[in-house]
Amino acid sequence: MSKELECRARELLAGGSVAAVIGYAEGAVPDAAAPVVITAPDEAERLVLSPFCYNNLAVYLTRPEIKKLGRVGVVAKDADIRAIFVLMQENQIAREDVHIIGVSISRLGDPSAECRVLPYKTHEELLGHLVKNVPPAELSAIEDVAQLEDADRTERWAYWQNEFSRCIRCYACRQVCPLCYCTSCIAEKNRPQWIETSAHERGNFAWNITRAFHLAGRCVGCGECERACPAGIPLMKLNRKMAKEVRDNFHGYVAGYAFEGEALFAGHRPDDPDDFFE
Amino acid sequence: MKIGRSNLAALIEKLAASGRRVVAPKDQGSYTDFGEIQKLAEADLSRVTTRMSIKQFFFPITEPILTFAISGNETILEQTAASEPQPTVIFGSRPCDAASLPILDEVFAWDYEDQFYLRRRAVTTVISISCTDCDDSCFCTALGLAPNSTDGSDLLLTPIADGEYLAEPCSDKGTRLAAEHAELFHDGDADKQAACGAALDRLPKPMDLDAIKAWLDEHFDDDFWAEASFKCIGCGACTYVCPTCHCFDIVDEADGEHGVRRKNWDSCQFGQFTRHASGHNPRPDSASRWRQRLMHKFKYYPERFSMRLCVGCGRCIRACPVQMNITEQLKRIEDMSGADGNAR
Repeated sequence: MSKELECRARELLAGGSVAAVIGYAEGAVPDAAAPVVITAPDEAERLVLSPFCYNNLAVYLTRPEIKKLGRVGVVAKDADIRAIFVLMQENQIAREDVHIIGVSISRLGDPSAECRVLPYKTHEELLGHLVKNVPPAELSAIEDVAQLEDADRTERWAYWQNEFSRCIRCYACRQVCPLCYCTSCIAEKNRPQWIETSAHERGNFAWNITRAFHLAGRCVGCGECERACPAGIPLMKLNRKMAKEVRDNFHGYVAGYAFEGEALFAGHRPDDPDDFFE
Repeated sequence: MKIGRSNLAALIEKLAASGRRVVAPKDQGSYTDFGEIQKLAEADLSRVTTRMSIKQFFFPITEPILTFAISGNETILEQTAASEPQPTVIFGSRPCDAASLPILDEVFAWDYEDQFYLRRRAVTTVISISCTDCDDSCFCTALGLAPNSTDGSDLLLTPIADGEYLAEPCSDKGTRLAAEHAELFHDGDADKQAACGAALDRLPKPMDLDAIKAWLDEHFDDDFWAEASFKCIGCGACTYVCPTCHCFDIVDEADGEHGVRRKNWDSCQFGQFTRHASGHNPRPDSASRWRQRLMHKFKYYPERFSMRLCVGCGRCIRACPVQMNITEQLKRIEDMSGADGNAR
């Protein structure tokens, strides 16, 4: 599949249909792959595909340096494609400005992990084979959420007190996330200081919970936040819980399954059945 | 001078019982981090190094520095307990971490004497353990340090045969400590280099840091920065796990008419770090911020204090979500500088 990718990238760049291709290159230490942007056809040989291609490259699509290049190609795994679609739904990137090179590779080196590519063809191409079509409602893997849900409130509070005590407020979780694209995050505002920047319990709860809420209905479950966290905080438990709430309360809605139409919480209709806002 | 393992355990217990807080690396699952111990057995000394560095014991991640309250027309300010730090023994730090202390001393005792840092320095004793192994991210030797350096330690223990350690006092504090517990140490010497042979074989060769600085001096505006920094996502993981990074922010947290002023870690890698009140940001992109990181560590700090702001511990490399690798970047700069010899 790496060879196929190299050829496609070279063709796309040589033909001028994209100004750059964002993909993965070999990392500096063994068993590693890291993001790279290439702009010339002969750089295509740097692109690799391996189980170590962890990063969600959609995070680079909202960068000013990338946007000003024009149309770009991006190598995207299943959740990465969904992230790109949410960005389109939210008008952060235009459909015609991205050439999606879908790839089906196992995440995190687990050969049994299936790459669940979208059930309809919305990427320009798919390298490798389509492993399985999975309907949206099945996507939220929530088994470990159930364990916490069954615990009582005191236990749950103690659990998160322990986890958040290690948070150092490095914001790696935010920075790796393609859907955290605000140029001025709520945590960076100080008039007033909505979220305390101090890495104490109050500040850490405020930060992590606010972020989980801001991602509800938008997080595509790529897991990068949890992988990037230097403190090993199980952030995906929070995100999966929010995804479950959204799915159960909004007619099975799962983020990233369409690039047209409204994002879940971004619109309003006068005939909305809820009346709490009136 | 040497100390056997059971005597070392006795030393730890005596120190813990003496009213001092003893901290050492403790098992946290996939990593170790410093935590309080009462006994040697509670420490996990098996990993290459801890996730977080020892700077937290001198420069905490968040620290109250004073409290304030309004009473009528008066503002009442009070010192916090942080100004009276608890005597502490750091046990099991690595030589790279210890070496960060003389480096940080320069800036925290420079034009303004930071009492929050300096008082903690005065009441803390550092007992380091030399490295008998390393991993691919370690690069202390590239910067002229060593897995058995004494820089910054008060007492350096090097593991030798049969559960024994070579014990070297490296400061007045260390000499006093050894004297106070003289019955636990015994005479003898050992080959420190042989003891750390496995690490020394694997660690990288010294880099030509003068050539690197010379290149930095001349290439502030170079296409290298944009290309080298592309994948950087702008989090603060590297700066926060780093033993020598020391930027901080002062914030006030008020609740009605009273509150606390805090000193918190900050990072030059955050997008808004240099944003001015006018809205202008002189470091608006990852290129300028990554350049700042390398310049500060390998040009500005050496110019100011004759020391590099890096000890080669490799934590930034391990923590980075996108594998920005400072060693790789320094090697590229070294190549571009046309340096010869030393290397690979």
